Amino acid sequence: MKYASTRVAFIESLAELAERHQKVALVCSDSAKVVRADEFKARFPERFIDVGIAEQNAVACAAGMASCGLIPFVATYAGFITMRACEQVRTFVAYPKLNVKLVGANGGIGAGEREGVTHQFFEDLGILRTIPGITIVVPADASQVGKAIKAVAEIPGPAYVRIGSGRDPVVFDTDLPFELGKIRILRAGGDDVAIFVNGHTIPRALTAAERLQDSGIKATVVEVHTLKPLDTEGITALLQQTGAAVTVEDHNIIGGLGSAVAEVIAERAPVPLARVGLGDRFPESGEAEQLMDAYGLSVTDIVEACRSVYARKGGRSA
Amino acid sequence: MAGQAIKELEHTARQIRRDILTMIYQAGDGHPGPSLSCADLVTALYFSAMNVDPADPRWPGRDRLILSKGHACPAVYAALARKGYFDLDELPRLRSLGSILQGHPDMLKTPGIDFTSGSLGNGISAGLGMALAARINSLDYFTYVITGDGELEEGIVWEAAMAAKHYQVGSLIVMVDYNGVQSGGRIEEISGLEPLVPKWEAFGWHCQVIDGHNFAEILTAIDNAKAVPGMPSVIIARTVKGKGVSFIENNNAWHKRVPTREEWEQAMQELGAEQQ
Repeated sequence: MKYASTRVAFIESLAELAERHQKVALVCSDSAKVVRADEFKARFPERFIDVGIAEQNAVACAAGMASCGLIPFVATYAGFITMRACEQVRTFVAYPKLNVKLVGANGGIGAGEREGVTHQFFEDLGILRTIPGITIVVPADASQVGKAIKAVAEIPGPAYVRIGSGRDPVVFDTDLPFELGKIRILRAGGDDVAIFVNGHTIPRALTAAERLQDSGIKATVVEVHTLKPLDTEGITALLQQTGAAVTVEDHNIIGGLGSAVAEVIAERAPVPLARVGLGDRFPESGEAEQLMDAYGLSVTDIVEACRSVYARKGGRSA
Repeated sequence: MAGQAIKELEHTARQIRRDILTMIYQAGDGHPGPSLSCADLVTALYFSAMNVDPADPRWPGRDRLILSKGHACPAVYAALARKGYFDLDELPRLRSLGSILQGHPDMLKTPGIDFTSGSLGNGISAGLGMALAARINSLDYFTYVITGDGELEEGIVWEAAMAAKHYQVGSLIVMVDYNGVQSGGRIEEISGLEPLVPKWEAFGWHCQVIDGHNFAEILTAIDNAKAVPGMPSVIIARTVKGKGVSFIENNNAWHKRVPTREEWEQAMQELGAEQQ
């Protein structure tokens, strides 16, 4: 597997934005090293603010900056933004619709990997999804992060972009575009089950689809990189086409992609669903791929989930 | 400042106090004590110190005010209405469905409100952001924050205090409405806020202690604060919670309470024209 840093991709994309737009700024909470910001700091010293290890202050300060027309990007670990500074995000960014962009590193257990639970963040998406008005994006890999950063800079108002550890699997060709708010079919034509997936778990979902193909179950694999606003129409169409759904995400199975798809299923297209992800428990330190295998995100877990929903919809056992 | 100008500010402040109690009486909800406590600070800012344009509330070069103690918003709403940001008829609609006057300040709904507030402790941090934005945008406005004393118990206050010193934001001026009483009772019985002046000084702030109901002292302190280059300023304004109405002063039952008709009439009398 090839690797490329989502953190570097973020900061390079931000530097390009800062070059073009005088209003773009970076706010860190002693996280300059986390997001590889040394060069940004050297190039744009006036627009680099580091408030120290103080995430609440970083977010509220960014809100004040945005109220004066700036476009601050707050970048640090995902959980420190969404948990430590949750109320500042909710009340001072989302409620006044301020143009603050949040960039959360170590999204998922695979991204937090060896650090252990304190630095593995698998609740960020669920927390933010309950707050009105935040665009939420989980890009697949480094090149997609670069494009997603530019995409959220284009839209006014709050946005969250999830990034990884800095050692992130390359999922797509670098020339693949990114379209905010739209699902993307990665593997088409499987009418037996739809696998909804995002982030660095995409390669696992694609491998699972191959295996299912060998045993006669045809899976469509769909990337849902934008959790909010959710492409409800696109998801509904695929649910109707396949009649069975599996979600795959590096997040608690409560609150993230699994919940988002479950909400569409319940209200618009009832079909059997299985959610693959972290099963509402705390993980531990470990190497990324081993961790995901051990905590419910193995290819086998995805294959089994697909078999189970396929059987529940009345398909032959394969 | 000339005696006549001070007299006019005192006159305006009495009007704002009448507006505060009248809007809370008519609306049937609100915080009289905290609003009366900071009424003179708010009056000094909007009617003397701040460079603002009610006809252009979002003018980028304007001075800004964050009312970190957002529950005292009747004081700011009254000042904004009296400045002409919106019609006085809006005041009785405070806290009502569909009103531009939310229970706590909402920068999207109320002309003249520079920042949403009400969750305590956050104002200085947002003010730091505004002051940094002034530098980035090459504008020379001042950012004022009125904070309660009780909310200084929040950790983010001191995060912001540290960062403001580090970034040497001389355009950030914080006023502490130090009435000594928070929602649950006397601050000294709830938390160890004192010694307050050495705290601010240790955090690297220019610090002044004044009588928060004396306009000459308030305006002099603001001038002093503006004159200190490269250093954030805090003005600790000693105030009386409920100031101006005998039965509300220092009576924490009035932290949040609606006056009866008789109480409202008596308050209007105490704040009335004969004192002018």
